[in-house]
Amino acid sequence: MNNPYAAIPATILKVMDETPNIRTFVLRPEREIPFLAGQFVELTVPGFGEAPFTPSSSHFKRDTFEMTIMKVGRATGALFGLKPGDAVGVRGPFGNPYPLEKFAGKDIYIVGGGVGLAPLRALFLALTHEIDKYKHIYLRYGARTPNDIVYRHLLPEWEKLPGVDIDLSVDVSDEKWMKKVGVVTCLLEEIPCDEKKSIAVVCGPPIMMKFVNQRLLDAGFQGENIYLSMETNMSCGVGQCRHCRLGPYLTCKDGPVLTWAQIKDIENPFA
Amino acid sequence: MLSTDLRSQWMSKLLERFTVFVPAERENQVHWHRLEPADLGSGTDTVTPALRRIRASEPVKSFMFNPRQQVGAFPEKLKPAEPKTRVLLGVKNCDLVPLKVHDKILTDGEFNDPFYLAQRKNTILVAADCPVPEESCFCNLLGLTPFAGDDADAALSVCDGAFLLEVGERGRELIDAAPDLFRKASEGDAGVTRREEERKAAVAALNRINPTPWNPGLPAAVAAKRKDESFWQKHAEKCVECFGCLMGCPTCYCFLLYDQAREKGLDRTRVWDACYLAAYARVGGGANPRAEFVKRFANRFFCKFSDFKTDHGMFACSGCGRCFKACMGKIDIRKVLGEL
Repeated sequence: MNNPYAAIPATILKVMDETPNIRTFVLRPEREIPFLAGQFVELTVPGFGEAPFTPSSSHFKRDTFEMTIMKVGRATGALFGLKPGDAVGVRGPFGNPYPLEKFAGKDIYIVGGGVGLAPLRALFLALTHEIDKYKHIYLRYGARTPNDIVYRHLLPEWEKLPGVDIDLSVDVSDEKWMKKVGVVTCLLEEIPCDEKKSIAVVCGPPIMMKFVNQRLLDAGFQGENIYLSMETNMSCGVGQCRHCRLGPYLTCKDGPVLTWAQIKDIENPFA
Repeated sequence: MLSTDLRSQWMSKLLERFTVFVPAERENQVHWHRLEPADLGSGTDTVTPALRRIRASEPVKSFMFNPRQQVGAFPEKLKPAEPKTRVLLGVKNCDLVPLKVHDKILTDGEFNDPFYLAQRKNTILVAADCPVPEESCFCNLLGLTPFAGDDADAALSVCDGAFLLEVGERGRELIDAAPDLFRKASEGDAGVTRREEERKAAVAALNRINPTPWNPGLPAAVAAKRKDESFWQKHAEKCVECFGCLMGCPTCYCFLLYDQAREKGLDRTRVWDACYLAAYARVGGGANPRAEFVKRFANRFFCKFSDFKTDHGMFACSGCGRCFKACMGKIDIRKVLGEL
């Protein structure tokens, strides 16, 4: 019988600095992790513990995968001390993928904040891999400063993709910044798609999610079309330990992405 | 049916085949006790009277869902041990029903806990009637009886100098261990009649202890209080955050996985956790959806009496009363839910 708590070994192939406190780790697991965009894995940093992360690379290539991670606590702190060749553990995939079948034929309006672009990148790559299936992809991304933007080297390439429209903002600009200045909602003042029919996908810090969600609702997006990545303490990953309970849901099993229609009655869901 | 005089002979036969745990009285409390051959020759039978008492202090879940259990190693693999079959002799209904909670959570079909399953499978559960409910008992409010249905492998009743043992397929092993000691009981036996009288009396006693049923729409009534912090606050005020209610609870199933580094690799351990702990829901970045205690206090009620019922069709409570007995603030679930 499979042991759901057992991690399989994975080797770190490459570590890339994204920002002063965000890095992308390229991992080669001993066995392929059959993830789909939006699903997460539990990453073991040997000796320091486990934490959940969503792969940020395309699910069309799985012999290696990438995770973009911000240094915030004990496990991520230790992870930042690891180098190519070091071993970590992974188990998963867990949770539900983005329901791409429901996205077909529609405008997809993606809003990211900070390191929240990481799981959205997996979605973006899955969507653009089969771009003809979708109407148009909009990506709106905000970071604190130009130096805090992740995937800086990739964004110019993404902007060139057909059927893709990207706009960026920073809270605090520098002299070289040519795009918008302001919190990410400043990118949402004009929404170029049909709000009633379009899909919105949001991932970022809780406070950003709260305001972006409100803006999307005000603009006319339907609650069941707003997909939100919920940040709760997912420990076991398999719906048992109950740490990630959010109202009537277990984020690890029912999420990690839930729609606004699902969570609207929960008191302060972005706490 | 077995005469209580033959109890020691039967149990020594059981010990030849199984590891046997029984409830035993110690300092007026009932605790689970691992039966040793020496216990049987001592002449003091603490087991038979304890079988007629209410549930032991320790919840039966501890035998399968251990307070601490190594569930993984890295990079090598860990497999569950396969110890000798155990007999738990004298499990009360309020400990049997909660095992369904753990079955649902830990063996849902998609992800199964092999360590729990191994211990669940190697345990023969022998229920015992609960003829004398105590003031802390409230299984009747959950729609349960003070005697087992068909959730056990065998059911034992101690009445009028006889052990009445009803066995299912697996429970038959208990008779097979000493077939000569048993005789088949019949309807007219005094013990059988007495058992029925005692069961009725126990139900009547529970109805006296807890005469007022809870709101029949309890899950919705509890859920309706999700945003009413003042309701929970008035009960939470008396809590000293000792977590005795959670550690004694036969249904609580929360756990934490934690890793301990070895020279090379690590051991992963599953330990009971408690949703009342401040850091329970805290995430890596420090955000905490239940930073205030009153939210954690209320969350326990949502879990047991609303969410679990909605998700799994049963309450995550069996009315065993351990939470109330353990509570220094004497917070009584019956009283809290009685107000809804």
